[in-house]
Amino acid sequence: MIKKTIIYGFLISFYSSCVAVKEYEKVKLSDPDMALTTKKIDRFETAFQVYREGAAGANGGKSGGGCGCN
Amino acid sequence: MKYLQIMMALFCFGSIFAQEETPDAYKKRVLETAEIDFLSSYYSQEGNNASVTGGIGTEQLSDATATIVLSIPLNDDDVLTIDAGISAYSSASSSNGNPFDITGASGNGYDDDDDDDDDDDDNDRGSNAAASVIGSPWLASTGASRSDVWSSVNADYAHSSEDRNTIWNADVSFATEYDYTSFGFGGGITQLFNEKNTTIGLSGKVYIDAWQPIYPTELKAYDDENGNQNQGFFNGVTIRNQNGNASSQWKPLNGFATIQDKGRNTYSVSFSFSQILTQNAQFSVFLDLVKQQGWLANPLQRVYFGDVPNFYIGNAASIPTYTSASNTDVFQLADDIERLPSSRLKIPVGLRLNYYVNEVISLRTYYRYYFDDWGMQSNTASLEMPIKISDQFTLYPSYRYYDQTKADYFAPYEQNLSTSEFYTSDYDLAQFNAQQFGFGISYTDIFTKAHLWKVGLKSIDFKYNNYQRSNGLSAHFMGIGFKFIVD
Repeated sequence: MIKKTIIYGFLISFYSSCVAVKEYEKVKLSDPDMALTTKKIDRFETAFQVYREGAAGANGGKSGGGCGCN
Repeated sequence: MKYLQIMMALFCFGSIFAQEETPDAYKKRVLETAEIDFLSSYYSQEGNNASVTGGIGTEQLSDATATIVLSIPLNDDDVLTIDAGISAYSSASSSNGNPFDITGASGNGYDDDDDDDDDDDDNDRGSNAAASVIGSPWLASTGASRSDVWSSVNADYAHSSEDRNTIWNADVSFATEYDYTSFGFGGGITQLFNEKNTTIGLSGKVYIDAWQPIYPTELKAYDDENGNQNQGFFNGVTIRNQNGNASSQWKPLNGFATIQDKGRNTYSVSFSFSQILTQNAQFSVFLDLVKQQGWLANPLQRVYFGDVPNFYIGNAASIPTYTSASNTDVFQLADDIERLPSSRLKIPVGLRLNYYVNEVISLRTYYRYYFDDWGMQSNTASLEMPIKISDQFTLYPSYRYYDQTKADYFAPYEQNLSTSEFYTSDYDLAQFNAQQFGFGISYTDIFTKAHLWKVGLKSIDFKYNNYQRSNGLSAHFMGIGFKFIVD
């Protein structure tokens, strides 16, 4: 029962994602805070994390090189 | 049941590609007017695991940056972005490339640069202050490596297609600091479809970097004098063994030689996929493949082995308390610089999910899993919750968690072995977790009422972060940004 519920839930949510949201329905998604990118002010934060941590990348920005960091 | 699932999946995929694009009634400019961003930040940190002094010692560091980003619409479809920045740091840890300057001995002593100019950073050896040469990993020195300025410039050209469904870009970058130079170039393409509900991106980047290496003073001097400990820097300096007695037995591992391969190249490919889920939610997935080749270690970072005798310069009475911050006048001579493989493959995978709760609150979430072929794995998770308190002001409380396993080649002070091929005591490659609490505030004026000459102020952003690592390093970060648009 639980397994079926999970499968149906997944399919329903996946199906809903396939229904395109029209341009005029994207008011909320167009909010700057909904952008799927980091903000400019966060670039320095990312930079010091690249220096102080072993992992980097997969955030839509720089993933290595350009500095003597790890 | 199985058929039902297959049918739903097929219908679902079919609905993606069956969407018909509606031609735009008019062509909107990609960027209406030129924008200028002024960004500045201040960063400071403290800790007791300095990599320059082999994993112990002060990590005190401060860094101030200033950046300008200029985005210029060249026409309806093309945007040129110029990004130029400067970053100035002062580091107690880096200063201890030459720790012996705390005696004021740089005029008498030895510096770590070997250029031929007339400035004060050449290898000059004074005649009569050697007896007072002391140092400590717990104090900053006045060595040439105590501060540095990093400068960079990046230019990016982006072109959008007529229907705005295809965007390609190309960029070139250059960065330089005292001991490092970087040249980079790259490009990418982004494709939107499904009525701009789905986006796929592919980009590549190459960095051709090079060290202008600075070495720990005693190692560079050893190489310069061919191991003769009665000349140059060592002239008149007493080297002491663990018992505090004068000794001439110190010898770096394999006699130390400066590095020949000073290049460090990075090749990265990034894939991205983003999807609008509902009118309130969207997500994106990122995958990077990063290959680094060349000298991936830092030539300034010392390593002390646990299986070889220790030797010091300075006050013999302080040797028993060498690893304590109370030690202010004795310094241990390096066994070697860190050595790391000449190749590293890094693979991070990230997921970002944003949800619009209501007109006041949104949620911005991010998770990343990372692994590389140096044996390191990492998890990163963050949550930011923008809260609109008025039409113009938004608050940004945030939390970030990070953890990593240690790289295969890391060991703390005096725990690496001289028989190993690779070794480091850089705590950035150690096992730890970190927590970061942040707060930001943003002011936005969509009408840009405030004017300065021909530019209008569009927004001001302020950000503060407190960063705490489980191995004792703590840091504070502040950033501020002003966005102007040109009338």
